[in-house]
Amino acid sequence: MFDITAPAPPLWSNGPSPGAFYNFPSLQSAPSDFVTHSQAPVTTATSIVAVAYNNGVIIAGDLLGSYGSLARYRNCPRILKVNDNIILGAGGDYGDFQYIKDFVQEKIVSEECLDDGVKLKPKSLYCWLTRIMYQRRSKFDPFWNNLVVGGIQDGNVFLGTVDKLGTAYTDKIICTGYGAHIATPMLRDALDRNPNPSQAEARRLVEKSMEVLFYRDARSYSKYLIGVIDKDEGIKIEGPVEVPTNWEIANFK
Amino acid sequence: MSLLARPHYPDYSTAPVQHQFYPYADNGGSVVAIAGDDFVVIGADTRLSAGFSIYTRNQNKLFPLAKTTVLGCSGCWCDTLTLTRILKSRMQMYAQEHNKTMSTTACAQMLSTMLYYKRFFPYSISNVLVGLDNEATTLSGTAKRRFTKLGGSAGALLQPLLDNQIGQKNMEIVSKEPLSQEKALKILKDVFISAAERDIYTGDSVFINIITKDGIQEDKFELRKD
Amino acid sequence: MSILAYNGGAMVAMKGENCVSIAADRRFGIQAQTVATNFQKIFEMGPHLYVGLPGLATDTQTVMEKLRFRKNLYELKENRRISPKVFSAMLSNMLYEKRFGPFFVEPVVAGLDPKTYEPFICNMDLIGCINLPTDFVVGGTASAQLYGMCEALWEPNLGPDDLFETTSQALINAFDRDAISGWGATVYIIEKDKVTIKNLKTRMD
Repeated sequence: MFDITAPAPPLWSNGPSPGAFYNFPSLQSAPSDFVTHSQAPVTTATSIVAVAYNNGVIIAGDLLGSYGSLARYRNCPRILKVNDNIILGAGGDYGDFQYIKDFVQEKIVSEECLDDGVKLKPKSLYCWLTRIMYQRRSKFDPFWNNLVVGGIQDGNVFLGTVDKLGTAYTDKIICTGYGAHIATPMLRDALDRNPNPSQAEARRLVEKSMEVLFYRDARSYSKYLIGVIDKDEGIKIEGPVEVPTNWEIANFK
Repeated sequence: MSLLARPHYPDYSTAPVQHQFYPYADNGGSVVAIAGDDFVVIGADTRLSAGFSIYTRNQNKLFPLAKTTVLGCSGCWCDTLTLTRILKSRMQMYAQEHNKTMSTTACAQMLSTMLYYKRFFPYSISNVLVGLDNEATTLSGTAKRRFTKLGGSAGALLQPLLDNQIGQKNMEIVSKEPLSQEKALKILKDVFISAAERDIYTGDSVFINIITKDGIQEDKFELRKD
Repeated sequence: MSILAYNGGAMVAMKGENCVSIAADRRFGIQAQTVATNFQKIFEMGPHLYVGLPGLATDTQTVMEKLRFRKNLYELKENRRISPKVFSAMLSNMLYEKRFGPFFVEPVVAGLDPKTYEPFICNMDLIGCINLPTDFVVGGTASAQLYGMCEALWEPNLGPDDLFETTSQALINAFDRDAISGWGATVYIIEKDKVTIKNLKTRMD
């Protein structure tokens, strides 16, 4: 009389049959037959803070590789010595940065092989990276990074940045990510008061910025690298430097 | 209909969040140009911004293409960088091929062609091309010649003022005197001061190029910085 | 397209020395099509009090009727003239009552205080957020153009004649750069002992 092989009707419209699992309506993932362009960033690094001072440039970036809100990797250096007169910092997708780092270093090697005594200059690298970033954005497959190039060219200090679209500009202060919102105002204020800081003064500014960013940027980390390029002293990348934290100021302990 | 039948529960979704990539940015900026009988003045503010962030307060947006030709750009900065670089190389190729620099009218035609070439993935830029032509003064927008031209984020704020002050629109007593360079500069500065009051993408300072038959003279003045 | 830009319109009010002005265009259109060129957007709410209601034309008239009703009730109950400040507060409150189904008007109020004759101008958004500046207010689809004009032309302590010229030039040049505003203008100059109403001839395209 009853067809027991037929399943019972669902408990409510679009609901589960008795004993079956409920399928949430939005659970079906997107159809897989279209081409997915422009992957989203995966392992990400946060702010870069850079200041040009009277005799060079200081760049800092922390060591964290985040996986969304998960603090996944704790030793991801992203301040890079390119050659004797260029220093490079990067935020955004860490994988894209590693790829960029590879072909930048490849370029340095191939220029070295020419052995003509000519070295890549910061403005050249900056311009080249601008073109690469713009080309990738035009292919709808961008490198998801903010790049900061610092260096010395013809006795002048250079500091410039490129983002994932190829938007590029030079300035005395460059901060990316949360640094643009938190550190830039502090640094601009400091440079208004003291337009030509010494290396030590600039370094104190950068260290203070990294401290504030560690307190306020949830994707930041207490250990960071600090890169200095100076007309007289050359390049050095120091670290890991630890942010001196003071949780006494916190409201709830 | 399907929306009603199947409510959306984003919290329960396990589908990856699609990060939409948008290849354009609006980096703001305003460009104003005023032409007289034997000169052109063109000004562009120096603020480069995106959303509520100011990238830099000191970005020149005027690009001299030839001795008496200047291009002013506002809009998507990465497109501006690309376009002006291609323009520069094409100016050089023309110079080497014909052994003379390109005229302003030819520059305008080339710019138009280059913009149309990217018809289906356009450069998102407002261009103002100015310069002198063989007879006297030319001021070119995309194609049309006129006496005042502007582009950029404060366009709607500035244009009626220029119509009134330079075009002498809605005026009973019209001055027959040709526009002097001093007056053009004064009006240029005034319209930028007005624009900086109400447009957050215009401010910091203005770079000015004054083009006469002797070449390009540079000038700069400060705007409000908030 | 925004409902606020369905009919088009431009409006401005300015403060002067012991006087205020309020002016608007005269167009009534349905999107790009001009239907009438004698449309009233500014309404008298007292001997020294005017309200302009740019936005959706049907709401312009509805809000005007509601305002007149409420103002009359206030004046009957209180047996005194309503002041521009109180009128604006009432209008703001009336608009916020419809917070989630608003009237699509962005009112401009201009007037002199009935006792002190102090100039008053204000404007508000469609849900009644009041803005009380010391110089000028603008509204309608040509507001960006009006800001540019007013920012350059307005100066403090304008007398009635200069205020008329400033207001008119600001309005006309602004709406000449807006496709859905214009087709004539009306300017009200409100002084202690007289109100001057002038209809301006402008370009009709």
